[in-house]
Amino acid sequence: MLRILRLLVKEVFYTVLLILGVTALLSFLFRLMPGTISFEKNWLNEYLKLLQRLFTFNFGVSPVSGLNINQVVFPAFKNTFILTFGAILISVIISVPIGIFSAYRSFRGISWPLTMFSYIVSSIPVFFLGYLVIYLFTRYSNFIPIYSATLENKRQLLAYILPILVLGLGNDSVSEFVRIISDELSRVMSMDYVVASKARGESVIRSSIVEGILIPLVTIIFSRIPFLIGGAIIVEYVFNWPGMGRLAFQSTLNRDLPVLVVIAFLSVLFVRGGMIIKDIILGFIIPQEM
Amino acid sequence: MKRFYFEKEKLSSEEFYVPLHKRASLRDVVSIGFGLFVVTYLVIFFLISITNSFIKDPMKVDIQHMFMPPSIEHIFGTDFLGRDIFSRIVKGTEAFFLPGILSIAISTTFGLLFGVISGYYSKTISSIIFYFLNIIDSIPRFILILIVIVIFNPSIYLIMLFVGVTSIPKVSSYIKSKVDTLKKQRFIEACRALGLSERSIIFKHIIWISSRSVLIIRATLGMGEAILIETSLSYLGIGVQEPIPSWGNMVAMGKDFFFQGKIWLSTIPALFILITIMGLYLLGDGLNSIFNERVSR
Repeated sequence: MLRILRLLVKEVFYTVLLILGVTALLSFLFRLMPGTISFEKNWLNEYLKLLQRLFTFNFGVSPVSGLNINQVVFPAFKNTFILTFGAILISVIISVPIGIFSAYRSFRGISWPLTMFSYIVSSIPVFFLGYLVIYLFTRYSNFIPIYSATLENKRQLLAYILPILVLGLGNDSVSEFVRIISDELSRVMSMDYVVASKARGESVIRSSIVEGILIPLVTIIFSRIPFLIGGAIIVEYVFNWPGMGRLAFQSTLNRDLPVLVVIAFLSVLFVRGGMIIKDIILGFIIPQEM
Repeated sequence: MKRFYFEKEKLSSEEFYVPLHKRASLRDVVSIGFGLFVVTYLVIFFLISITNSFIKDPMKVDIQHMFMPPSIEHIFGTDFLGRDIFSRIVKGTEAFFLPGILSIAISTTFGLLFGVISGYYSKTISSIIFYFLNIIDSIPRFILILIVIVIFNPSIYLIMLFVGVTSIPKVSSYIKSKVDTLKKQRFIEACRALGLSERSIIFKHIIWISSRSVLIIRATLGMGEAILIETSLSYLGIGVQEPIPSWGNMVAMGKDFFFQGKIWLSTIPALFILITIMGLYLLGDGLNSIFNERVSR
Protein backbone atom coordinates (compact mmCIF):
# COMPACT_ATOMS: atom_id res chain seq x y z
CA MET A 1 0.00 0.00 0.00
CA LEU A 2 2.84 2.32 0.92
CA ARG A 3 4.41 1.59 -2.44
CA ILE A 4 1.25 2.64 -4.30
CA LEU A 5 1.02 5.79 -2.18
CA ARG A 6 4.63 6.69 -2.99
CA LEU A 7 3.93 6.12 -6.68
CA LEU A 8 0.84 8.29 -6.45
CA VAL A 9 2.72 11.16 -4.80
CA LYS A 10 5.45 10.98 -7.42
CA GLU A 11 2.97 10.97 -10.29
CA VAL A 12 0.92 13.83 -8.89
CA PHE A 13 4.07 15.89 -8.40
CA TYR A 14 5.13 15.25 -11.99
CA THR A 15 1.65 16.08 -13.23
CA VAL A 16 1.67 19.42 -11.42
CA LEU A 17 5.07 20.17 -12.97
CA LEU A 18 3.71 19.27 -16.41
CA ILE A 19 0.63 21.42 -15.97
CA LEU A 20 2.84 24.36 -15.01
CA GLY A 21 4.76 23.80 -18.24
CA VAL A 22 1.61 23.47 -20.33
CA THR A 23 0.10 26.65 -18.94
CA ALA A 24 3.37 28.50 -19.49
CA LEU A 25 3.33 27.36 -23.12
CA LEU A 26 -0.29 28.43 -23.52
CA SER A 27 0.25 31.82 -21.98
CA PHE A 28 3.33 32.29 -24.16
CA LEU A 29 1.22 31.51 -27.24
CA PHE A 30 -1.42 33.86 -25.88
CA ARG A 31 1.20 36.63 -25.85
CA LEU A 32 2.00 35.97 -29.53
CA MET A 33 -1.55 36.57 -30.70
CA PRO A 34 -1.77 39.82 -32.61
CA GLY A 35 -4.35 42.25 -31.32
CA THR A 36 -4.62 40.80 -27.82
CA ILE A 37 -5.54 43.36 -25.21
CA SER A 38 -2.98 42.68 -22.54
CA PHE A 39 -3.41 44.45 -19.24
CA GLU A 40 -0.09 43.31 -17.87
CA LYS A 41 3.15 44.49 -19.37
CA ASN A 42 5.07 41.80 -17.54
CA TRP A 43 4.64 38.26 -18.87
CA LEU A 44 5.22 36.68 -15.46
CA ASN A 45 2.40 38.64 -13.82
CA GLU A 46 0.02 37.63 -16.56
CA TYR A 47 1.10 34.01 -16.23
CA LEU A 48 0.59 34.06 -12.47
CA LYS A 49 -2.89 35.50 -12.94
CA LEU A 50 -3.71 32.76 -15.48
CA LEU A 51 -2.42 30.15 -13.03
CA GLN A 52 -4.50 31.59 -10.24
CA ARG A 53 -7.63 31.49 -12.38
CA LEU A 54 -6.98 27.95 -13.59
CA PHE A 55 -5.97 26.34 -10.30
CA THR A 56 -8.88 27.79 -8.33
CA PHE A 57 -11.24 26.54 -11.07
CA ASN A 58 -12.63 30.03 -11.27
CA PHE A 59 -12.22 30.73 -14.95
CA GLY A 60 -13.91 34.11 -15.10
CA VAL A 61 -15.89 35.65 -17.92
CA SER A 62 -15.12 35.24 -21.60
CA PRO A 63 -14.48 38.65 -23.21
CA VAL A 64 -15.92 37.47 -26.53
CA SER A 65 -19.23 35.84 -25.60
CA GLY A 66 -19.69 37.54 -22.22
CA LEU A 67 -20.65 34.24 -20.61
CA ASN A 68 -19.27 32.81 -17.41
CA ILE A 69 -16.80 30.17 -18.59
CA ASN A 70 -17.47 27.88 -15.61
CA GLN A 71 -21.13 27.53 -16.52
CA VAL A 72 -20.28 26.72 -20.14
CA VAL A 73 -17.33 24.40 -19.73
CA PHE A 74 -18.28 21.99 -16.94
CA PRO A 75 -21.52 20.58 -18.47
CA ALA A 76 -19.67 20.25 -21.76
CA PHE A 77 -16.83 18.42 -20.02
CA LYS A 78 -19.30 15.99 -18.47
CA ASN A 79 -20.82 15.19 -21.88
CA THR A 80 -17.40 14.67 -23.47
CA PHE A 81 -16.39 12.40 -20.60
CA ILE A 82 -19.44 10.20 -21.21
CA LEU A 83 -18.68 10.13 -24.93
CA THR A 84 -15.00 9.20 -24.61
CA PHE A 85 -15.61 6.64 -21.88
CA GLY A 86 -18.27 4.90 -23.94
CA ALA A 87 -16.10 5.05 -27.04
CA ILE A 88 -13.17 3.37 -25.29
CA LEU A 89 -15.52 0.68 -24.06
CA ILE A 90 -16.83 0.06 -27.60
CA SER A 91 -13.28 -0.07 -29.03
CA VAL A 92 -12.20 -2.57 -26.39
CA ILE A 93 -15.29 -4.76 -26.88
CA ILE A 94 -14.64 -4.88 -30.62
CA SER A 95 -10.88 -5.26 -30.63
CA VAL A 96 -10.18 -7.78 -27.84
CA PRO A 97 -11.93 -10.76 -29.51
CA ILE A 98 -10.30 -9.94 -32.86
CA GLY A 99 -6.90 -9.71 -31.17
CA ILE A 100 -7.39 -13.05 -29.41
CA PHE A 101 -8.53 -14.66 -32.65
CA SER A 102 -5.53 -13.48 -34.60
CA ALA A 103 -3.10 -14.59 -31.89
CA TYR A 104 -4.17 -18.22 -32.23
CA ARG A 105 -2.39 -19.85 -35.09
CA SER A 106 -5.24 -22.26 -35.83
CA PHE A 107 -7.68 -19.41 -36.47
CA ARG A 108 -5.50 -17.66 -39.04
CA GLY A 109 -8.07 -18.24 -41.78
CA ILE A 110 -10.86 -16.48 -39.91
CA SER A 111 -8.68 -13.82 -38.37
CA TRP A 112 -7.49 -12.35 -41.67
CA PRO A 113 -10.89 -10.84 -42.64
CA LEU A 114 -11.44 -9.75 -39.04
CA THR A 115 -8.10 -7.93 -38.97
CA MET A 116 -8.88 -6.29 -42.30
CA PHE A 117 -12.22 -5.22 -40.84
CA SER A 118 -10.38 -3.56 -37.96
CA TYR A 119 -8.14 -1.70 -40.41
CA ILE A 120 -11.08 -0.53 -42.54
CA VAL A 121 -13.02 0.59 -39.50
CA SER A 122 -10.16 2.58 -38.08
CA SER A 123 -9.20 4.34 -41.29
CA ILE A 124 -12.73 5.33 -42.32
CA PRO A 125 -12.98 9.11 -41.84
CA VAL A 126 -15.07 9.63 -38.73
CA PHE A 127 -17.04 12.53 -40.18
CA PHE A 128 -18.20 10.39 -43.10
CA LEU A 129 -19.06 7.47 -40.83
CA GLY A 130 -21.19 9.84 -38.75
CA TYR A 131 -23.18 11.04 -41.72
CA LEU A 132 -23.56 7.52 -43.05
CA VAL A 133 -24.98 6.38 -39.71
CA ILE A 134 -27.34 9.36 -39.49
CA TYR A 135 -28.50 8.71 -43.07
CA LEU A 136 -29.15 5.04 -42.49
CA PHE A 137 -30.88 5.48 -39.16
CA THR A 138 -33.13 8.33 -40.23
CA ARG A 139 -34.06 6.76 -43.52
CA TYR A 140 -34.71 3.19 -42.56
CA SER A 141 -35.79 3.37 -38.94
CA ASN A 142 -36.94 5.93 -36.45
CA PHE A 143 -36.23 3.86 -33.39
CA ILE A 144 -33.12 5.71 -32.26
CA PRO A 145 -33.39 9.49 -31.86
CA ILE A 146 -30.48 11.24 -33.56
CA TYR A 147 -30.07 14.04 -31.10
CA SER A 148 -31.59 15.22 -27.88
CA ALA A 149 -30.41 18.05 -25.72
CA THR A 150 -32.57 17.15 -22.76
CA LEU A 151 -33.33 13.90 -21.06
CA GLU A 152 -37.07 14.08 -20.45
CA ASN A 153 -37.86 10.40 -20.75
CA LYS A 154 -35.95 7.17 -20.82
CA ARG A 155 -36.06 6.84 -24.58
CA GLN A 156 -33.88 9.90 -25.02
CA LEU A 157 -31.04 7.94 -23.44
CA LEU A 158 -30.92 6.02 -26.72
CA ALA A 159 -29.57 9.18 -28.36
CA TYR A 160 -26.29 8.45 -26.61
CA ILE A 161 -25.83 5.24 -28.57
CA LEU A 162 -24.99 6.54 -32.04
CA PRO A 163 -22.28 9.11 -31.19
CA ILE A 164 -20.60 6.67 -28.81
CA LEU A 165 -20.71 3.91 -31.42
CA VAL A 166 -19.34 6.16 -34.15
CA LEU A 167 -16.50 7.48 -32.01
CA GLY A 168 -15.68 4.00 -30.74
CA LEU A 169 -15.45 2.61 -34.25
CA GLY A 170 -14.12 5.60 -36.07
CA ASN A 171 -11.10 6.75 -34.10
CA ASP A 172 -8.08 4.75 -35.16
CA SER A 173 -7.65 2.86 -31.90
CA VAL A 174 -9.33 -0.37 -32.99
CA SER A 175 -6.55 -1.48 -35.34
CA GLU A 176 -3.89 -0.45 -32.85
CA PHE A 177 -5.54 -2.38 -30.02
CA VAL A 178 -5.87 -5.43 -32.27
CA ARG A 179 -2.25 -5.28 -33.38
CA ILE A 180 -0.87 -4.88 -29.88
CA ILE A 181 -3.06 -7.56 -28.32
CA SER A 182 -2.30 -10.08 -31.06
CA ASP A 183 1.46 -9.35 -30.93
CA GLU A 184 1.63 -9.54 -27.15
CA LEU A 185 -0.62 -12.55 -26.84
CA SER A 186 1.27 -14.55 -29.46
CA ARG A 187 4.53 -13.65 -27.70
CA VAL A 188 3.23 -14.62 -24.28
CA MET A 189 1.61 -17.81 -25.52
CA SER A 190 4.97 -19.17 -26.64
CA MET A 191 6.59 -18.47 -23.27
CA ASP A 192 7.64 -21.33 -21.01
CA TYR A 193 5.11 -20.95 -18.24
CA VAL A 194 2.20 -20.88 -20.68
CA VAL A 195 3.49 -23.92 -22.52
CA ALA A 196 3.87 -25.69 -19.17
CA SER A 197 0.33 -24.84 -18.16
CA LYS A 198 -0.85 -26.09 -21.54
CA ALA A 199 0.94 -29.36 -20.85
CA ARG A 200 -0.87 -29.59 -17.53
CA GLY A 201 -4.12 -29.35 -19.47
CA GLU A 202 -5.09 -25.84 -18.36
CA SER A 203 -6.56 -23.22 -20.62
CA VAL A 204 -3.85 -21.31 -22.49
CA ILE A 205 -5.92 -18.17 -22.72
CA ARG A 206 -6.58 -18.11 -18.99
CA SER A 207 -2.95 -18.44 -18.04
CA SER A 208 -1.79 -15.76 -20.44
CA ILE A 209 -4.62 -13.31 -19.91
CA VAL A 210 -2.84 -11.01 -17.46
CA GLU A 211 0.42 -10.59 -19.28
CA GLY A 212 -0.93 -11.01 -22.78
CA ILE A 213 -4.10 -8.92 -22.72
CA LEU A 214 -4.54 -6.95 -19.54
CA ILE A 215 -1.16 -5.20 -19.31
CA PRO A 216 -0.93 -4.07 -22.96
CA LEU A 217 -4.58 -3.03 -22.93
CA VAL A 218 -4.26 -0.92 -19.78
CA THR A 219 -1.06 0.61 -21.09
CA ILE A 220 -2.49 1.53 -24.48
CA ILE A 221 -6.02 2.60 -23.47
CA PHE A 222 -4.95 5.52 -21.36
CA SER A 223 -2.45 6.75 -23.91
CA ARG A 224 -5.27 6.95 -26.48
CA ILE A 225 -7.22 9.59 -24.54
CA PRO A 226 -5.70 12.61 -26.38
CA PHE A 227 -6.60 11.08 -29.74
CA LEU A 228 -10.11 10.34 -28.53
CA ILE A 229 -10.58 13.97 -27.54
CA GLY A 230 -9.49 14.95 -31.06
CA GLY A 231 -11.98 12.53 -32.58
CA ALA A 232 -14.65 13.78 -30.17
CA ILE A 233 -14.37 17.27 -31.69
CA ILE A 234 -15.53 15.96 -35.07
CA VAL A 235 -18.14 13.55 -33.74
CA GLU A 236 -19.64 16.28 -31.56
CA TYR A 237 -19.75 18.58 -34.57
CA VAL A 238 -21.49 15.97 -36.71
CA PHE A 239 -24.01 14.89 -34.05
CA ASN A 240 -24.45 18.34 -32.52
CA TRP A 241 -23.43 16.86 -29.18
CA PRO A 242 -23.18 19.57 -26.52
CA GLY A 243 -19.65 18.65 -25.47
CA MET A 244 -16.22 20.13 -25.06
CA GLY A 245 -15.18 19.45 -28.64
CA ARG A 246 -18.07 21.36 -30.15
CA LEU A 247 -17.42 24.15 -27.67
CA ALA A 248 -13.76 24.21 -28.72
CA PHE A 249 -14.74 24.38 -32.38
CA GLN A 250 -17.22 27.19 -31.77
CA SER A 251 -14.62 29.11 -29.77
CA THR A 252 -12.20 28.66 -32.65
CA LEU A 253 -14.70 30.23 -35.04
CA ASN A 254 -15.39 33.04 -32.54
CA ARG A 255 -11.67 33.56 -31.80
CA ASP A 256 -12.47 32.97 -28.16
CA LEU A 257 -9.02 32.14 -26.83
CA PRO A 258 -9.79 32.20 -23.05
CA VAL A 259 -12.36 29.42 -23.44
CA LEU A 260 -9.92 27.42 -25.58
CA VAL A 261 -7.21 27.76 -22.94
CA VAL A 262 -9.60 26.49 -20.27
CA ILE A 263 -10.57 23.58 -22.51
CA ALA A 264 -6.90 22.76 -23.10
CA PHE A 265 -6.27 22.89 -19.34
CA LEU A 266 -9.18 20.57 -18.58
CA SER A 267 -8.16 18.11 -21.29
CA VAL A 268 -4.59 18.05 -19.98
CA LEU A 269 -6.02 17.25 -16.56
CA PHE A 270 -8.08 14.50 -18.18
CA VAL A 271 -5.07 13.06 -20.01
CA ARG A 272 -2.72 13.18 -17.02
CA GLY A 273 -5.43 11.83 -14.72
CA GLY A 274 -5.70 8.88 -17.07
CA MET A 275 -1.93 8.35 -16.85
CA ILE A 276 -2.04 8.34 -13.04
CA ILE A 277 -4.91 5.84 -13.04
CA LYS A 278 -2.95 3.70 -15.49
CA ASP A 279 0.11 3.62 -13.25
CA ILE A 280 -1.96 2.74 -10.20
CA ILE A 281 -3.71 -0.09 -12.05
CA LEU A 282 -0.38 -1.41 -13.31
CA GLY A 283 0.95 -1.13 -9.76
CA PHE A 284 -1.81 -3.45 -8.60
CA ILE A 285 -1.44 -5.92 -11.47
CA ILE A 286 2.35 -6.20 -11.47
CA PRO A 287 3.66 -5.01 -8.10
CA GLN A 288 7.17 -6.32 -8.75
CA GLU A 289 7.72 -4.04 -11.75
CA MET A 290 6.81 -0.76 -10.11
CA MET B 1 7.54 7.60 -16.65
CA LYS B 2 6.27 6.05 -19.81
CA ARG B 3 6.28 2.29 -19.94
CA PHE B 4 6.16 0.35 -23.13
CA TYR B 5 5.89 -3.21 -21.98
CA PHE B 6 5.36 -4.64 -25.39
CA GLU B 7 8.52 -3.03 -26.75
CA LYS B 8 11.00 -4.66 -24.46
CA GLU B 9 11.14 -8.20 -25.72
CA LYS B 10 10.78 -7.32 -29.34
CA LEU B 11 13.88 -5.19 -29.42
CA SER B 12 16.08 -7.53 -27.42
CA SER B 13 16.14 -10.15 -30.16
CA GLU B 14 18.45 -7.98 -32.20
CA GLU B 15 20.98 -10.68 -32.93
CA PHE B 16 18.53 -12.74 -34.91
CA TYR B 17 19.48 -12.10 -38.52
CA VAL B 18 17.44 -13.43 -41.40
CA PRO B 19 17.35 -11.80 -44.85
CA LEU B 20 14.43 -9.43 -45.32
CA HIS B 21 12.71 -11.32 -48.11
CA LYS B 22 12.64 -14.53 -46.08
CA ARG B 23 11.16 -12.84 -43.06
CA ALA B 24 7.97 -11.69 -44.79
CA SER B 25 4.86 -13.78 -44.51
CA LEU B 26 2.21 -13.69 -47.21
CA ARG B 27 0.22 -11.33 -45.05
CA ASP B 28 3.06 -8.81 -44.83
CA VAL B 29 3.65 -9.01 -48.58
CA VAL B 30 -0.01 -8.24 -49.28
CA SER B 31 -0.02 -5.34 -46.79
CA ILE B 32 3.17 -3.82 -48.13
CA GLY B 33 2.06 -4.32 -51.72
CA PHE B 34 -1.23 -2.54 -51.07
CA GLY B 35 0.61 0.25 -49.25
CA LEU B 36 3.06 0.72 -52.11
CA PHE B 37 0.12 0.84 -54.54
CA VAL B 38 -1.37 3.68 -52.48
CA VAL B 39 1.94 5.53 -52.34
CA THR B 40 2.32 5.13 -56.11
CA TYR B 41 -1.04 6.60 -56.97
CA LEU B 42 -0.51 9.45 -54.51
CA VAL B 43 2.77 10.37 -56.22
CA ILE B 44 1.24 10.05 -59.70
CA PHE B 45 -1.76 12.18 -58.73
CA PHE B 46 0.54 14.79 -57.24
CA LEU B 47 2.74 14.90 -60.36
CA ILE B 48 -0.31 15.21 -62.63
CA SER B 49 -1.69 17.92 -60.42
CA ILE B 50 1.40 20.14 -60.34
CA THR B 51 1.97 19.82 -64.09
CA ASN B 52 -1.74 20.44 -64.84
CA SER B 53 -1.83 17.84 -67.59
CA PHE B 54 -4.14 14.93 -68.52
CA ILE B 55 -7.11 16.11 -66.43
CA LYS B 56 -10.07 18.40 -66.92
CA ASP B 57 -9.95 21.79 -65.27
CA PRO B 58 -10.93 21.12 -61.62
CA MET B 59 -12.22 24.66 -61.14
CA LYS B 60 -14.38 24.90 -64.27
CA VAL B 61 -18.03 25.48 -63.39
CA ASP B 62 -20.52 23.85 -65.77
CA ILE B 63 -24.09 24.54 -64.66
CA GLN B 64 -25.63 22.42 -67.42
CA HIS B 65 -23.96 19.26 -66.17
CA MET B 66 -24.62 19.42 -62.44
CA PHE B 67 -24.96 16.20 -60.39
CA MET B 68 -23.98 13.91 -63.26
CA PRO B 69 -23.66 10.35 -61.96
CA PRO B 70 -20.44 8.50 -62.80
CA SER B 71 -20.14 7.97 -66.55
CA ILE B 72 -17.44 7.52 -69.18
CA GLU B 73 -16.96 11.22 -69.71
CA HIS B 74 -16.81 11.99 -65.98
CA ILE B 75 -15.40 8.90 -64.29
CA PHE B 76 -16.64 9.87 -60.82
CA GLY B 77 -19.45 12.18 -61.94
CA THR B 78 -19.76 15.91 -61.36
CA ASP B 79 -20.55 17.90 -58.23
CA PHE B 80 -23.11 20.61 -57.42
CA LEU B 81 -21.40 23.14 -59.70
CA GLY B 82 -20.75 20.71 -62.52
CA ARG B 83 -17.07 20.36 -61.72
CA ASP B 84 -15.41 17.06 -62.56
CA ILE B 85 -14.94 15.09 -59.35
CA PHE B 86 -12.05 12.97 -60.59
CA SER B 87 -9.92 15.97 -61.48
CA ARG B 88 -10.80 17.57 -58.14
CA ILE B 89 -9.61 14.44 -56.37
CA VAL B 90 -6.36 14.52 -58.32
CA LYS B 91 -5.95 18.21 -57.51
CA GLY B 92 -6.86 17.54 -53.88
CA THR B 93 -3.59 15.66 -53.29
CA GLU B 94 -1.82 19.01 -53.43
CA ALA B 95 -3.55 20.02 -50.21
CA PHE B 96 -1.75 17.42 -48.09
CA PHE B 97 1.22 16.11 -50.08
CA LEU B 98 3.92 18.72 -49.46
CA PRO B 99 2.52 19.81 -46.05
CA GLY B 100 2.48 16.16 -44.97
CA ILE B 101 6.09 15.72 -46.05
CA LEU B 102 6.99 18.84 -44.07
CA SER B 103 5.34 17.39 -40.98
CA ILE B 104 7.14 14.06 -41.43
CA ALA B 105 10.47 15.82 -41.93
CA ILE B 106 10.06 17.79 -38.72
CA SER B 107 8.85 14.89 -36.59
CA THR B 108 11.54 12.45 -37.76
CA THR B 109 14.44 14.91 -37.63
CA PHE B 110 13.74 16.29 -34.18
CA GLY B 111 12.43 12.97 -32.89
CA LEU B 112 15.70 11.32 -33.92
CA LEU B 113 17.75 14.13 -32.40
CA PHE B 114 15.99 14.12 -29.03
CA GLY B 115 15.67 10.33 -28.96
CA VAL B 116 19.37 9.72 -29.57
CA ILE B 117 20.48 12.42 -27.14
CA SER B 118 18.20 11.19 -24.36
CA GLY B 119 18.96 7.54 -24.99
CA TYR B 120 22.71 7.79 -25.37
CA TYR B 121 23.67 10.40 -22.79
CA SER B 122 23.01 10.66 -19.09
CA LYS B 123 19.70 10.19 -17.35
CA THR B 124 19.44 13.83 -16.24
CA ILE B 125 19.49 15.13 -19.81
CA SER B 126 16.99 12.49 -20.81
CA SER B 127 14.54 13.41 -18.06
CA ILE B 128 14.81 17.13 -18.90
CA ILE B 129 14.17 16.47 -22.59
CA PHE B 130 11.28 14.16 -21.83
CA TYR B 131 9.74 16.72 -19.51
CA PHE B 132 9.43 19.12 -22.45
CA LEU B 133 8.26 16.39 -24.78
CA ASN B 134 5.62 15.31 -22.26
CA ILE B 135 4.34 18.88 -22.16
CA ILE B 136 3.65 18.71 -25.88
CA ASP B 137 2.33 15.18 -25.58
CA SER B 138 -0.23 15.86 -22.88
CA ILE B 139 -2.13 18.57 -24.77
CA PRO B 140 -4.49 16.79 -27.16
CA ARG B 141 -3.15 17.47 -30.64
CA PHE B 142 -6.41 18.65 -32.14
CA ILE B 143 -6.98 21.22 -29.39
CA LEU B 144 -3.42 22.55 -29.77
CA ILE B 145 -4.06 22.93 -33.50
CA LEU B 146 -7.30 24.81 -32.82
CA ILE B 147 -5.40 27.19 -30.51
CA VAL B 148 -2.76 27.70 -33.21
CA ILE B 149 -5.50 28.44 -35.73
CA VAL B 150 -7.03 31.05 -33.45
CA ILE B 151 -3.69 32.73 -32.79
CA PHE B 152 -1.97 32.73 -36.17
CA ASN B 153 -4.83 32.22 -38.67
CA PRO B 154 -2.35 30.02 -40.50
CA SER B 155 -2.00 28.32 -43.86
CA ILE B 156 -2.00 24.53 -44.10
CA TYR B 157 1.82 24.51 -44.02
CA LEU B 158 2.00 26.12 -40.58
CA ILE B 159 -0.69 23.75 -39.30
CA MET B 160 1.33 20.79 -40.58
CA LEU B 161 4.44 22.21 -38.94
CA PHE B 162 2.61 22.00 -35.63
CA VAL B 163 1.36 18.50 -36.49
CA GLY B 164 5.01 17.57 -36.98
CA VAL B 165 5.96 19.14 -33.67
CA THR B 166 3.22 17.22 -31.86
CA SER B 167 4.46 13.90 -33.26
CA ILE B 168 8.03 14.46 -32.00
CA PRO B 169 7.38 12.84 -28.56
CA LYS B 170 6.17 9.58 -30.06
CA VAL B 171 9.10 9.28 -32.50
CA SER B 172 11.67 10.11 -29.88
CA SER B 173 10.27 7.68 -27.32
CA TYR B 174 10.53 4.90 -29.93
CA ILE B 175 14.09 5.93 -30.81
CA LYS B 176 15.02 6.22 -27.14
CA SER B 177 13.86 2.72 -26.30
CA LYS B 178 15.76 1.45 -29.34
CA VAL B 179 18.96 3.25 -28.34
CA ASP B 180 18.57 2.07 -24.74
CA THR B 181 18.68 -1.56 -25.81
CA LEU B 182 21.38 -0.97 -28.44
CA LYS B 183 23.69 0.73 -25.95
CA LYS B 184 24.03 -2.45 -23.93
CA GLN B 185 24.75 -4.67 -26.95
CA ARG B 186 28.15 -6.22 -27.49
CA PHE B 187 28.86 -4.80 -30.93
CA ILE B 188 28.71 -1.24 -29.62
CA GLU B 189 31.12 -2.25 -26.88
CA ALA B 190 33.35 -3.81 -29.54
CA CYS B 191 33.22 -0.62 -31.60
CA ARG B 192 34.33 1.34 -28.58
CA ALA B 193 37.11 -1.13 -27.85
CA LEU B 194 38.30 -0.85 -31.45
CA GLY B 195 38.67 2.88 -30.90
CA LEU B 196 35.88 4.23 -33.08
CA SER B 197 34.91 7.79 -32.28
CA GLU B 198 31.63 8.44 -30.47
CA ARG B 199 30.42 10.32 -33.53
CA SER B 200 30.82 7.43 -35.90
CA ILE B 201 29.28 5.01 -33.41
CA ILE B 202 26.22 7.23 -33.08
CA PHE B 203 25.84 8.17 -36.73
CA LYS B 204 26.75 4.91 -38.38
CA HIS B 205 25.89 2.12 -36.00
CA ILE B 206 23.05 3.57 -34.00
CA ILE B 207 21.29 5.91 -36.39
CA TRP B 208 21.97 4.54 -39.85
CA ILE B 209 22.12 0.81 -39.33
CA SER B 210 19.71 0.34 -36.47
CA SER B 211 17.22 3.20 -36.38
CA ARG B 212 16.38 3.76 -40.01
CA SER B 213 13.64 1.11 -39.98
CA VAL B 214 11.92 2.85 -37.06
CA LEU B 215 12.12 6.16 -38.92
CA ILE B 216 10.65 4.73 -42.13
CA ILE B 217 7.75 3.20 -40.21
CA ARG B 218 7.09 6.40 -38.27
CA ALA B 219 7.23 8.42 -41.50
CA THR B 220 4.63 6.19 -43.15
CA LEU B 221 2.28 6.34 -40.19
CA GLY B 222 2.95 10.09 -39.85
CA MET B 223 1.81 10.68 -43.42
CA GLY B 224 -1.43 8.84 -42.64
CA GLU B 225 -1.97 11.02 -39.58
CA ALA B 226 -1.21 14.18 -41.57
CA ILE B 227 -3.79 13.26 -44.21
CA LEU B 228 -6.34 12.49 -41.51
CA ILE B 229 -5.77 15.86 -39.84
CA GLU B 230 -5.80 17.84 -43.09
CA THR B 231 -9.04 16.23 -44.25
CA SER B 232 -10.66 16.67 -40.83
CA LEU B 233 -9.73 20.35 -40.65
CA SER B 234 -10.86 20.99 -44.23
CA TYR B 235 -14.07 19.17 -43.43
CA LEU B 236 -14.67 21.47 -40.46
CA GLY B 237 -14.00 24.44 -42.75
CA ILE B 238 -10.85 25.68 -41.01
CA GLY B 239 -8.26 24.03 -43.23
CA VAL B 240 -8.16 24.36 -47.01
CA GLN B 241 -10.99 26.64 -48.14
CA GLU B 242 -13.64 25.74 -50.67
CA PRO B 243 -12.77 26.75 -54.25
CA ILE B 244 -9.43 25.01 -53.78
CA PRO B 245 -10.19 21.30 -53.70
CA SER B 246 -9.26 19.09 -50.78
CA TRP B 247 -10.68 15.64 -50.03
CA GLY B 248 -12.02 16.91 -46.72
CA ASN B 249 -13.97 19.86 -48.07
CA MET B 250 -15.26 17.75 -50.95
CA VAL B 251 -16.87 15.43 -48.39
CA ALA B 252 -18.18 18.45 -46.49
CA MET B 253 -19.73 20.02 -49.60
CA GLY B 254 -21.16 16.75 -50.83
CA LYS B 255 -22.80 15.79 -47.55
CA ASP B 256 -25.61 18.33 -48.09
CA PHE B 257 -26.77 16.29 -51.08
CA PHE B 258 -26.37 12.96 -49.31
CA PHE B 259 -29.98 12.99 -48.16
CA GLN B 260 -31.20 13.63 -51.71
CA GLY B 261 -29.75 10.31 -52.80
CA LYS B 262 -26.80 11.86 -54.64
CA ILE B 263 -24.34 9.89 -52.60
CA TRP B 264 -21.33 9.86 -54.94
CA LEU B 265 -20.54 13.50 -54.20
CA SER B 266 -19.19 12.73 -50.75
CA THR B 267 -18.73 8.96 -50.90
CA ILE B 268 -16.00 9.02 -53.54
CA PRO B 269 -13.64 11.43 -51.73
CA ALA B 270 -14.39 9.60 -48.47
CA LEU B 271 -13.46 6.29 -50.13
CA PHE B 272 -10.22 7.85 -51.32
CA ILE B 273 -9.42 9.00 -47.78
CA LEU B 274 -10.28 5.53 -46.47
CA ILE B 275 -8.16 3.64 -48.99
CA THR B 276 -5.20 5.99 -48.71
CA ILE B 277 -5.05 5.99 -44.93
CA MET B 278 -5.62 2.25 -44.77
CA GLY B 279 -2.81 1.69 -47.28
CA LEU B 280 -0.39 3.81 -45.30
CA TYR B 281 -1.30 2.09 -42.01
CA LEU B 282 -0.93 -1.34 -43.62
CA LEU B 283 2.41 -0.33 -45.10
CA GLY B 284 3.63 0.86 -41.71
CA ASP B 285 2.47 -2.26 -39.90
CA GLY B 286 3.83 -4.59 -42.59
CA LEU B 287 7.23 -2.92 -42.46
CA ASN B 288 7.05 -3.06 -38.68
CA SER B 289 6.54 -6.80 -38.63
CA ILE B 290 9.33 -7.34 -41.16
CA PHE B 291 11.90 -5.14 -39.48
CA ASN B 292 11.15 -6.24 -35.93
CA GLU B 293 12.99 -9.57 -36.37
CA ARG B 294 10.46 -11.63 -34.47
CA VAL B 295 11.56 -15.18 -33.82
CA SER B 296 8.18 -16.81 -33.42
CA ARG B 297 5.43 -16.13 -35.85
